[in-house]
Amino acid sequence: MDPILTSRIMSDVLGGVTNGIIYGLFALSLVLVWRSTGVLNFAQGAMPMFSTYVGMVVFAHYFGYWPCVALAIAAGFLLGGTTERLLVRHLYGKPEINPIVVMVGFLIVLESVAAAIWSSGPHSLPSPFSPIDFQLGGKPIAMSRFTLYEIGTGVVVMTLVAVLFRLTNLGLQLRASALAPEVSRLLGVRVGRMLTLGWILSTGVGTITTILVASNFFTGLTPQVMDGIFAFGFIAAAVGGLESPVGAILAGVGIGVALQFVGDYVNSNAIILVALGILVVSLMVRPNGIFSPRSTRRV
Amino acid sequence: MSSMSPRRVIVAGAAVVAGVIVSFLGLASTRDAVALSIALAIVVAGGTMITSAPLRAGHPVLVRAATCATAVVAALVATFYFSATTDYNLATGAAMSIVLVGLSFLTGASGQISLGNGAFMGVGAFVMAIWANHHATTPIVLTLAIAVACGALVGFLLGLPATRLRGPYLAGMTLAFAVAFGAILNSFNSWTGGDGGLQLPTEATPPHWLVSLFGRSTPLLTTNTAWLTDITLVVTGVAFFFMANLFASRTGRAMRLIRDNDVAAELVGISLPRARVTAFVVSSAYAALGGALWTLINNSVSPSTYSFALSVTILSVVVIGGIGTIPGALIGGLIYAYSASVISWIVTQTGLNAQGNLASQLNGIIFGGLLIVTMIFAPLGLAGSIRHFWHQRQRRPAPDLNSPSTGPTLAPGS
Repeated sequence: MDPILTSRIMSDVLGGVTNGIIYGLFALSLVLVWRSTGVLNFAQGAMPMFSTYVGMVVFAHYFGYWPCVALAIAAGFLLGGTTERLLVRHLYGKPEINPIVVMVGFLIVLESVAAAIWSSGPHSLPSPFSPIDFQLGGKPIAMSRFTLYEIGTGVVVMTLVAVLFRLTNLGLQLRASALAPEVSRLLGVRVGRMLTLGWILSTGVGTITTILVASNFFTGLTPQVMDGIFAFGFIAAAVGGLESPVGAILAGVGIGVALQFVGDYVNSNAIILVALGILVVSLMVRPNGIFSPRSTRRV
Repeated sequence: MSSMSPRRVIVAGAAVVAGVIVSFLGLASTRDAVALSIALAIVVAGGTMITSAPLRAGHPVLVRAATCATAVVAALVATFYFSATTDYNLATGAAMSIVLVGLSFLTGASGQISLGNGAFMGVGAFVMAIWANHHATTPIVLTLAIAVACGALVGFLLGLPATRLRGPYLAGMTLAFAVAFGAILNSFNSWTGGDGGLQLPTEATPPHWLVSLFGRSTPLLTTNTAWLTDITLVVTGVAFFFMANLFASRTGRAMRLIRDNDVAAELVGISLPRARVTAFVVSSAYAALGGALWTLINNSVSPSTYSFALSVTILSVVVIGGIGTIPGALIGGLIYAYSASVISWIVTQTGLNAQGNLASQLNGIIFGGLLIVTMIFAPLGLAGSIRHFWHQRQRRPAPDLNSPSTGPTLAPGS
């Protein structure tokens, strides 16, 4: 019998880590696009939302949970790639507000179209894992099969992305074309394809995040489901450093735990206020993020 | 330059025609006749000043004041004859155009963008309602000033870190603020009235001099749309006058240089963080003013109005109108005021189910689509495109207002 596992503090930590993995995963998808193409994608929540609807609502009649997950991720890849080719490609080298405005427009269009087709009410995506907390000596631990599924998926995806970038030839090409596109082109890297691949990967990671969020018994899938996650994910990415995938994940988990305590000990309305406060203070102290190397800019 | 240029003849002619029409419409009383004569005199004098080339060159501030005064007086006279619905639309659009010109200044001047101006409007709107509920006797102008000051303060706190950074930090942070605004209001719900929002106290009556000028008998705040429209128009005129001067001032020029080439700006001694924070604070203050006027027009404020969707709509209409320009903000305000009517017209024309999903989402689909199309194909918006077309017809090189990357330029004459 270990009473520490069922204590209030421990359950806040566990619940915070679960939320934090979601924030970190979403922040990772933001960082992937930012690093590869220098665009902060404001439709980063809406695009995966749309592909999740396509995969998990349209095909839910024909297939079970797991084939639908695969279809949703495939739809995410497709949407990410076509968006980069058709929409974002016009915007490289333009003033920095142009991609921001266009992606905000895309965000509105996707959310409105999704609400027009599937209505703005929630769709539940029953996951095969039970959301009922484990019990220890008659008391609940803030852990269930579902939260283990969330954390496990998050860790697997993060590891896969790390392996891809660090250990494979493709990852080297991706990093090279983000860092030095001209040199990479001269060395035979297809930079254009790498940019598209960056968007494909990022939307894929985003889709997995959305599936985890929407499979939650208490949320369900709505057109606006990712708006709040976007806010927390952006805060995590900015605190950790938009340049740093590891920083984004760690900041996501840290913010998740901190906010869980705020929600438990203060109240739930204070969560986003504290999150904004963390962002303001952290940008004042470390403008480039906690985990980012000091950056210089070429004139 | 002859003493009677064709433009002046046109202005004088228009004034005479307007005078004749007004006298045919039949005036209710001598008081109205006096008010209208004063209005006509201001329009004629203002029109003459605006069109005089030497005056434009020598006293630009005077000409800007005359432009704003003329436009406001013309609109005030018009509200006297408009229906209550038109008055309400006009007031809503005018208050929105204040918000838009603030955002235009932020983007046109510093090259950054805010996705949270709907929330800053909300700050102004709620401060206005809260103050009026606690101190009903405060003059409305003072309450407006307090709302603006609070909007500026929130903008300063939020913008201080983000505006110091290059890149999309300000946009992301303002988006987080806009998404969070509902929860923020809820955490102060003993002041903000929770989900129901707040009503303005009905004892507040308009100042009598303005009422008597337009022949109204001491109306209550809740009933008189024309009076509310008039107050909104006057405030709009003053706000645009200040903004026109700011655009043309040394500060405005310095900010445009920052937008086009921040390294060059730093080299000529402009403090980047200070200029960017200033631009953001001005834009937040203008948004708060617009929101406070909305509270006044509607006599109430509801938290659901100031959702993230409003911030996005603000961005859409300012980009479609022409971001970074003053006429663009006016066009955007007009689009906003009539967008709901146009969309319901489309719904009835196409025979859509008005209660259906598609009809309720048409607003977002149309505005989002227009936002993308405008930004990719005509980033200058309607105002910029019209100006471009006009200059091409005159076979003069058009000043490319919205595209940096023309290389380093130095601030002229500063």
